[in-house]
Amino acid sequence: MTMTLTLRTEPPARVLAAPLAPERLCGCSASAVAALEIRCGGDTVAVGDLFEVSGGGIEVDELVLAGDLRRFDGIGAGMSRGEIEVRGDAGAWAGADMSGGVLRILGDAGARLGAAYPGARVGMTGGEIVVTGDAGEEAGAGMRRGLVAVGGNTASGAGLRMLAGTVIALGSIGAEAGLGNKRGSLVSRESVRPLPSYARSTRFRPPALRLQLLRVRALGLVVGDELVNGSWARWSGDRTELSRGEILMFENGEERT
Amino acid sequence: MSSYALGATHVDDTFAEAFPMRYARVLITAATDAWALEAARSMTGFATSVIGCKCEAAIERALAVDETPDGRPGIAVLLFAMDREGVGKRVLERVGQSVMTCPTTACFDGLPGADRTAALGGSLRYFGDGFQASKVIGGQRFWRIPVMEGEFLVSESVGIGRGVGGGNLVIGAGDEDAGLSAAQSAADAMRGEGIALPFPGGIVRSGSKVGALTSKSMPASTNHQMAPTLRAQVDDSLVPDGVGALFEIVIDGVSEEAVRESMRRGLHAAAAAGATHVTAANFGGKLGEFHFPLDALRDPP
Repeated sequence: MTMTLTLRTEPPARVLAAPLAPERLCGCSASAVAALEIRCGGDTVAVGDLFEVSGGGIEVDELVLAGDLRRFDGIGAGMSRGEIEVRGDAGAWAGADMSGGVLRILGDAGARLGAAYPGARVGMTGGEIVVTGDAGEEAGAGMRRGLVAVGGNTASGAGLRMLAGTVIALGSIGAEAGLGNKRGSLVSRESVRPLPSYARSTRFRPPALRLQLLRVRALGLVVGDELVNGSWARWSGDRTELSRGEILMFENGEERT
Repeated sequence: MSSYALGATHVDDTFAEAFPMRYARVLITAATDAWALEAARSMTGFATSVIGCKCEAAIERALAVDETPDGRPGIAVLLFAMDREGVGKRVLERVGQSVMTCPTTACFDGLPGADRTAALGGSLRYFGDGFQASKVIGGQRFWRIPVMEGEFLVSESVGIGRGVGGGNLVIGAGDEDAGLSAAQSAADAMRGEGIALPFPGGIVRSGSKVGALTSKSMPASTNHQMAPTLRAQVDDSLVPDGVGALFEIVIDGVSEEAVRESMRRGLHAAAAAGATHVTAANFGGKLGEFHFPLDALRDPP
């Protein structure tokens, strides 16, 4: 069952939206959700004061958040199941500490998408995040498992101190990607200059990436066949860590020597 | 033995006797149809009978690119053994030796969501010598094993299903050419979803009986009662008059229904292709859990 929250007024301060997850709204009627208090700056505000709420019931497995939610942080943070679709831009910390389910953002995402909270070593441990636009700094930071796929670019620091998992940028992965990466995979359609602690291994057709790109396509991003079938350069790193991580860059032309 | 007529074909009023088995479905993909087929042929080689090969395996069908997990051409292989442990060991051996070694292949579980599983990539990963890596994609875990070509991608485990092994038809005609032609037509008709015909081309020319007349240690020996060259030499020959050659088709299937319908297709195809006689092998009905009376296959598919 789907519950829909449509933004009707911009909040006076940044809102912590983590409580708005399908698993936390199960069994709640629209009026009960409208009465929920969530943090807004140093105060609290009723969900119903910000959103028009419809749907809901015993089995809420999909939550739709519609509107410009750039001032809403932590959308889908900590979620473990179900699906959230954001029809608009999202604020920072979307999908932070996520362990399962699907978070789909039909717009841009702010900083620390799917990342670990400050002081926490481990961030996202499962689930899938899809962003049709761009993502802010440090997407997938501290990620241990799961998938973050961005239709555009990720800003600097993607995959910071990543343990494992995958961050895909169908545009550019940005600067300083994969700093402190242990076993994670960073994927960039556009060429970027890797950190000096990465070294080029080869160019090949990664079978796992093929499967992941098909999965990303199924989740709604436009993924061209040239990416699915093409060759990718593999850069291994971070050598300051285990050197078992990788940055894959699309390279369908002649192999570099 | 009483019989009924299917056109010009005499069909014995007997039954095939089959056994419960366990099976796995493995999906092999590759850069081209040809490489997928090479891997599948290698994996299903020397897998005709559990008695001598520890498993029975065959190509189930070719898979179009929109039917495979990675969007490449593929082949579905069915592998049967007597228990889950046996299926797991044989799949692991054969994927390791015949699929991982084959250029451009990847290997996937064809029974996702099965209640019982056996490790595949979860064990094969050790070939990666510590350089292997796993990825969870769409809720399923895969292993990336670095190899000289690039990487071999393989599912963490394969599902194990309950199947039926040992359904059969015995097809006879006046001479070898006519008998083989009818058997080939039957085999072509019998293949399909959920069916494995594990013998070469799906056809057995050396059907066996349990034990041997001359040895207590042999588990099986030639079915002398069905050997046309012995018709005048033994007292218990079962070769019908006018029959000069017999061929058996052994069927393993994912269900009793799949085996029955495969036998139905085969029986009618054999009759249409000139078989003069069709019968089935059994052990008196005391060994196998599943019985497939030929009388129940009169209606065409």
